[in-house]
Amino acid sequence: MAEGRVAGRAVAERDFAAVLAQVKPEAERLMALYPEKRSALLPMLHAFQNVEGWLSPEAMAEAGRMLSVPLSVVESTASFYTLFFRRPIGRYMLQVCRNLSCRMNGADDVMAYFRERLGVGHLQTTDDGTFSYEEVECLAACDRAPSMQVNLEFVYDLTPEKIDELIAAMKAGTYEVAPLPQTAMPARDWHVGQDTGRKSPGGQDVSHPNAPGGMGDPSGIDLIERLARSPYPIEARPTQERLVREGAERLKHAPHNGEVEH
Amino acid sequence: MPVVKVLTEGIGEVNLRDIGEYRKRGGYEQWQRVATTMSPADVIDLVSKSGLRGRGGAGFPTGRKWQFLPNNGRPRYMVCNCDEAEPGTFKDHLLLEETPHQVIEGMLIGSYAIGSNHAFIYIRGEFKRGFDIFSAAIEEARAAGMLGDNVFGGEFSIELTPHRGAGAYICGEETALLNSLEGKRGEPRLKPPFPAIKGLYGEPTVVNNVETLAFLPHIVKNGPEWFAKVGPEKSPGYKIVSVSGHVKKAGNYEVPLGTTLRELLEIAGGARDGRTIVAIQPGGGSSACLFEEDLDLSYDFDTMAAHKTMLGSGAVVFFDDTTDFVKAAHALVRFFAHESCGQCTPCREGGHWLELTLERLLHGGGLDSDIDLLVSVSHQMTGLNLCPLGDSIEPFLASVVKRFEPQFRRYVKHAEPATV
Ligand SMILES: Cc1cc2nc3c(=O)[nH]c(=O)nc-3n(C[C@H](O)[C@H](O)[C@H](O)COP(=O)(O)O)c2cc1C
Ligand code: SF4
Ligand code: FES
Repeated sequence: MAEGRVAGRAVAERDFAAVLAQVKPEAERLMALYPEKRSALLPMLHAFQNVEGWLSPEAMAEAGRMLSVPLSVVESTASFYTLFFRRPIGRYMLQVCRNLSCRMNGADDVMAYFRERLGVGHLQTTDDGTFSYEEVECLAACDRAPSMQVNLEFVYDLTPEKIDELIAAMKAGTYEVAPLPQTAMPARDWHVGQDTGRKSPGGQDVSHPNAPGGMGDPSGIDLIERLARSPYPIEARPTQERLVREGAERLKHAPHNGEVEH
Repeated sequence: MPVVKVLTEGIGEVNLRDIGEYRKRGGYEQWQRVATTMSPADVIDLVSKSGLRGRGGAGFPTGRKWQFLPNNGRPRYMVCNCDEAEPGTFKDHLLLEETPHQVIEGMLIGSYAIGSNHAFIYIRGEFKRGFDIFSAAIEEARAAGMLGDNVFGGEFSIELTPHRGAGAYICGEETALLNSLEGKRGEPRLKPPFPAIKGLYGEPTVVNNVETLAFLPHIVKNGPEWFAKVGPEKSPGYKIVSVSGHVKKAGNYEVPLGTTLRELLEIAGGARDGRTIVAIQPGGGSSACLFEEDLDLSYDFDTMAAHKTMLGSGAVVFFDDTTDFVKAAHALVRFFAHESCGQCTPCREGGHWLELTLERLLHGGGLDSDIDLLVSVSHQMTGLNLCPLGDSIEPFLASVVKRFEPQFRRYVKHAEPATV
C-alpha cells in the first residue's frame, strides 16, 4: 500500500494493531477505576486520540468492544464533545478564544490575523497538514486576553508579533509545545458536521473576519477606521481532489474492500 | 482594599503542588483531625453553621445540600465540579493547578461528611495540564497515606478518581456532568429526582464546586464563626472573584463577600485611562448586567439577586464606554447557542435564531423589528427548558437591549423587511 504524504513528510502507514497494543494496558487500567466500566469511555477515547492524533473509526470500534457499548453509541457520544476529532487534524491544533472578555480585548483582530497568516478559516486545516484552526468558547483565561490553546497548552496576551513568532517556531519545529502525532492525512475541513458551512442571513461565514471589528478596541481605534482597514479575504480553495483521494484511501482499508463507483 | 488570602494563600510564593510544601503549612492536618476525632454529623453541623454557600453558581447552602442524602444504605458519591466554562470564570483551575492538595483535602473532608467512599473530580477537557498536575497530586497524597483503605488506621476508606471531560460547557450542569461521568452524552437529566436521591449510577450523590470544597479545611481549622462573621449575615465568607474585561489588571482576587463592585474595580486597577465603566456583568455569562449607578452595591448572593441578577460563579466583567453591546450580546448569545445540548426546542432553536438575528444586524441587514424580536424570543424561550442553560440568554441580552437600545438601533438598515 502507498505511503500517505503530507507536504512531502512521510506519514507512517497506519498500523492499528500497534496502536491497540499501546493503548490496551492503559484502557484496562482505566476500566478498573470506576464502579461501572462504561465510565471509562471518555478517558479511553482520549487515550486513543493521544496515540493517533485523532479519533479513528477503528479506535471507536475497539473502545466499544472493550466496554460492551455499540459502535453507534460510541460515535454518538464522541460526537457530543468538541475535543474529539473524528477526522485527522494538523500537528498543531490552534484554538483561539472568541468569547466576551477576549473580544473586548482585541480577539477579533487576533482571529483575523490568524486566518490571514494561515490562509484557512474556522474548523479548517492548512494544505500542508501542519495547522488546524478553530475559534472556541471561553478558555477560562480571560485575565490574559486574548488567549488561546496550542495542543491544549495555554498561550496568553496574543499580539500579531507573538502570533508570527509562534507560527514560525512551529514551522521550524522549535516550538515549546510538542506537535501532535499524525497518522493520517488531514482534509481541509476537519470537523464532522456541527458548525461547518453555516451562513448568516447575509450569506457570510458566521465568524468571517470581514465582519465588523472588535468590541471596545484596546488601542482605542475607532470602529469605522477598523472597518475601513483592508479585510482579509479567504480564498476558496479546491478541496474536492483531496477529499476524493482521502476517501479512496479509506476505502482501501475498509474491510469489504469495495469498488468506488463514480 | 480588602484583598484577603485564604484559598489563595501561598500561591505564587511557594510550590504548593508539592505535598511537602503543603504539609509544612499545616496541610492535611484538618483532614487528619476530621477522620480521627470527628463524626460525619459533626462536620455537617460545622459546615451548616458556617453559612457556606456553593461557589458553583446557584449559591445553595452546602450543609443543607449534604443533609438531603437519604439514609438507605446505598453507596454514595462525592463529585467535585471542575468543569469551569462559564464565560469570565477562571478561578477553579487556579486552585486545581496551583494548590491541588487543598482541593484534595476539601474533597476528602466532604466525602467523609457525607459518607462517600469514592469521590470523583470532573475536570474540563481543556485543562489537560491541570488534569496531569492533579493526578500527580492524588498519587502523592495516596503515598502519604491520606487516601486509600482505612486511612489513619481507622475504619474509613476513600478512593479518589480524576476524570477529564472532552469539551462541552453543559457538562458543568450537575446532571449532565453525571451522565458524562457515566460515559454518556453530556445531556442534563430531568429533575427531580435530584442527584442527592438518584445521582451517579443512580445512587445518592453530592456535586460541589472546587472552591466550595477548598474552603472545608479552613472552616474546620478556624471554626464556623470565623467564616460566618465575614460579610453579610446570609451570604457570608470569602470568595475568589475573577475580574476581566475593560480593567487595567484583570485577575483573580479573593475578597470578603460584601465588598462593593466599585472596590472590586479599584482592586483590578480601575478603568482604562480616560474611560468610564458603564456596565458590569456580575456573575458570568448567564447573569443580567448592572450599570454605573449600581457600582456601590455590595457583592454578595442576596444583593445581586435583589437587583435581578446573580453572583453566579463569581465572574465579574466590567464594560467601559467604548463597548459595542451588540457585539457583546453576539458573543454571549453565540456561546449559549453553540453550547445548547439540543434536547429542548426553545433552547436549541431560540439560541440559534437569536444568533442569526444579531448577525443580521451586525452584517448591515437588520430590520427595525429585530430589536423587539431579540427581546421577545429570548423571553419566550425562558422557563421552558430542562436545565438553566436555556434560560441563560435572556438576562444579559434583555438588560443591554433595554439600556443601550440606541446602539442596537444604529445597526438597523431597513425599516421594512427587505424585498428579495
Ligand atoms: C449550564 C450550567 C453550567 C454549569 N457549570 C458549572 C461549572 O462549570 N462549575 C460548577 O461548579 N458548577 C457549574 N454549574 C452548577 C452546577 O450545576 C452545580 O450547581 C454546582 O456544581 C454545585 O456546586 P456548589 O453547590 O458547590 O455550588 C453549572 C450549571 C449550569 C446550569
Ligand atoms: S436547556 Fe438547553 S442545554 Fe439545557 S437540557 Fe435543554 S437543550 Fe440542553
Ligand atoms: S473570554 Fe477568552 S478566555 Fe474567557
